[in-house]
Amino acid sequence: MRLAVVFTKEDPVRFVSHLDVQRLFQRAFRRAKLPLAYSQGFNPHPLVSFATALSVGMTSRGEYLDVMLTEPMTTDAFRSAVESVLPDGVRIAEVFDLGESRKSLTSAMRSADYFAEVAFPGPADADGIKQAIADLLASEIVVMKKTKGGIKPVDIRPMVISMELVKTEGNTAFFSMTGKLTAEGGLNPETLLGELYEKLGTSGAARIERVRIELDREALK
Amino acid sequence: MDRTLLNSILKKVEKPSRYTGGELNMRVKDLSAPDGGKLCRFALCFPDVYEIGMSHLGSRIIYNVLNERDDTYCERAYAPWFDMEDELRKNGLPIYSLETGTPLGEFDVIGFSLLYEMCYTNILTVLDLAGVPFRSRDRREEAPLIIAGGPCVCNPEPVADIMDALVFGDGEEVMNEFMDVYTDWKRTGGKKAELLKRLSRIKGVYVPGYYSAEYDDNGNFGRLVKLDPDAPDSIERRIVEDLDAAQYTGKLVVPYMSIVHDRVALEIFRGCTRGCRFCQAGFIYRPVREREMSTVIKQTDESLDCTGYDEISLFSLSSGDYSHIHELVPLILDRYEKDRVSVSLPSLRIDSFLKDDLEKIQKVRKTGLTFAPEAGTQRLRDVINKGVTEEDLLRSVHDAFVAGWHGVKLYFMIGLPTETDEDVLGIAELARKVSREFYSMPKELRGKGLRCTVSASTFVPKPFTPFQWEPQIEVSEVLRRQALLRQALKGIRGVEFSCHFSETSRLEAAFARGDRRLSEVLISAYEHGARLDSWDEHFNKPAWEAAFAENGLTVEQYANRRIGTDEPLAWQHMDAIVCMDYLKREHEKAYDEVTTRDCRKGCNGCFGRRSAVICRGRTEVSE
Repeated sequence: MRLAVVFTKEDPVRFVSHLDVQRLFQRAFRRAKLPLAYSQGFNPHPLVSFATALSVGMTSRGEYLDVMLTEPMTTDAFRSAVESVLPDGVRIAEVFDLGESRKSLTSAMRSADYFAEVAFPGPADADGIKQAIADLLASEIVVMKKTKGGIKPVDIRPMVISMELVKTEGNTAFFSMTGKLTAEGGLNPETLLGELYEKLGTSGAARIERVRIELDREALK
Repeated sequence: MDRTLLNSILKKVEKPSRYTGGELNMRVKDLSAPDGGKLCRFALCFPDVYEIGMSHLGSRIIYNVLNERDDTYCERAYAPWFDMEDELRKNGLPIYSLETGTPLGEFDVIGFSLLYEMCYTNILTVLDLAGVPFRSRDRREEAPLIIAGGPCVCNPEPVADIMDALVFGDGEEVMNEFMDVYTDWKRTGGKKAELLKRLSRIKGVYVPGYYSAEYDDNGNFGRLVKLDPDAPDSIERRIVEDLDAAQYTGKLVVPYMSIVHDRVALEIFRGCTRGCRFCQAGFIYRPVREREMSTVIKQTDESLDCTGYDEISLFSLSSGDYSHIHELVPLILDRYEKDRVSVSLPSLRIDSFLKDDLEKIQKVRKTGLTFAPEAGTQRLRDVINKGVTEEDLLRSVHDAFVAGWHGVKLYFMIGLPTETDEDVLGIAELARKVSREFYSMPKELRGKGLRCTVSASTFVPKPFTPFQWEPQIEVSEVLRRQALLRQALKGIRGVEFSCHFSETSRLEAAFARGDRRLSEVLISAYEHGARLDSWDEHFNKPAWEAAFAENGLTVEQYANRRIGTDEPLAWQHMDAIVCMDYLKREHEKAYDEVTTRDCRKGCNGCFGRRSAVICRGRTEVSE
């Protein structure tokens, strides 16, 4: 059977790379003594796949993975077996049965919401920031992106669904952003904030959290 | 600690999970001791980067031993990589422990694991970033106690001015005795001098400040003079008698990032009976003490359960020599087959008969195979008492090829005592025969293409080996012999050559046999920018040259000098239990090209008069 797991990634594991998160779950599932299905070949590994990677340093309230089991197990039994063996900073938010579906979670992703806490060198001016956001979203946002063929200009504006200033407190401003996130790629909220800093003519240090990934569960059926 | 600042740094540096801690099974303690006092805070520091330090079995045992105590909280720290060191300095942040993020300077004790000489400048990086003065005499009463343990303590002199105390030998028991004294002293609130006095009475603890060194007219080491009449004349190495009763790693901390030895390492025995004459570990971990199979199985169960690892390594200096190896390997493989746990056997000798075991191991997962003939000709292998033959090697690689391996590593040394060009070329001859062995097998029986890596490091004379008096060959000669070998290996099908850079080997030789004056050299080198010296690409040659010159010393006087067997040795106050007379006899036998039997086949008397006491019951003839 195939189960989907929604999990959090917070301190102290937010600096753990995607590759290491994959290993973290493989080991946790082994500790939980789950009936794991393994790949064939010389180096068999548990069949665990992740919907998408999270940038190192970002936290998340809901990342997705799926795991293949050789025996049926209820989502509750799965959850209680795994929860007790997870390291600090990783919790299970939800488990759901994928039934007979063989479609990848990645294929069902649509968008993601982000929350960012940004520290500026000086006081955060709410009106100025709001104006800068409006200016930024009014036209193309061309950034230089590293691709296989070298560094190319790319317009990330179509990736941005929304960007809002939530509030300011002293030198700190809080933003919420929604960007596209699909199998083809997605918005990098850090890049978008970088463009905003440029518009504001300042620098900023952001702490970003992925609040939610919009995943079309109907599309998985 | 400013967490926000730290987080902004962590976003910039390479591999940030080196510095974040929070791993599964990391020990968490309430900082108040059960009797209402404060816990003793112990920072266990491995002076190299995280992925190397976390792979060291010894420190992981000590971490558990110390944390099993109610009165002590042991936390970990590692040397920062260049980028992190820069960031910490730029932002005025101290080096901190991974468990609680406490600045290292606030600890009661900082204990370093000394595994190789080329990590010594990293000790200074850590002390510097902790705000602790380098020289013990410059440290004030409230500074942390700076101590060290590990195999390099068999010649502690190059770090003698830095360390307050050093612990010689197996740490499992002596660290408890050490902490008993420390915590008692801390409760009564005395002076550091009193603490050192009490610590120096523990067997195996060396307090370098009680001694001062004198040098002869040629500028060589002369003798060590006691400054305190009560200080011991010699420091006896500590030995854990019973490995089954000894504490082991307990609940292993499971790293997030991948580390060098990323698996459960279970020590199946300590010590080695072979007596290869270049090998320091072969002498300073004697006598051999085996763990019962039942203990190994129990500890394997516990370790796999609490980590989720899918690989275990049956660890020792020569795993094929374990008395029950042919029972243990299939037992473990069967036991965990359904969990897909693979087993690796490091340090396999080529004369171990492991054909069947290899085939079974292969069923689960292919792991690399390394063989160490060490020298290219039988004559030289007899000189070093390696005790293996060309037939042994060819049979072992044949077995491995039949079992499906097509990658093997062959490990050799260049510059062994009495080595001639013929011996160097013998390495290539041996590689040629291995290649022929592979390609003469029918295609359907062997793997697709041979990958045979011939690796040649430079011989480094080490204390407490029969070669401790031998010079290392000059750099120009190392390079010439490497070139000779590279040329001879050209065109051998499936064989590639890798050799160790010789500058670091030279410095390693100097520090291995160094005296107290090297403490100042070390500090100068650090101040000139030497860091992480074991990483060849970062080796800072000018810094070291300046450091030796400033102190009126040369690398050559330590590395390339033949020491007379009747001359004083800078480490002779350290009693490794293996006696000097035995080492002298072995030295002579090397030049006579006479081998010495494996002491499992009968005692050779390496402990001298103490053989009967310390090694009793371990020397009966086993066939």
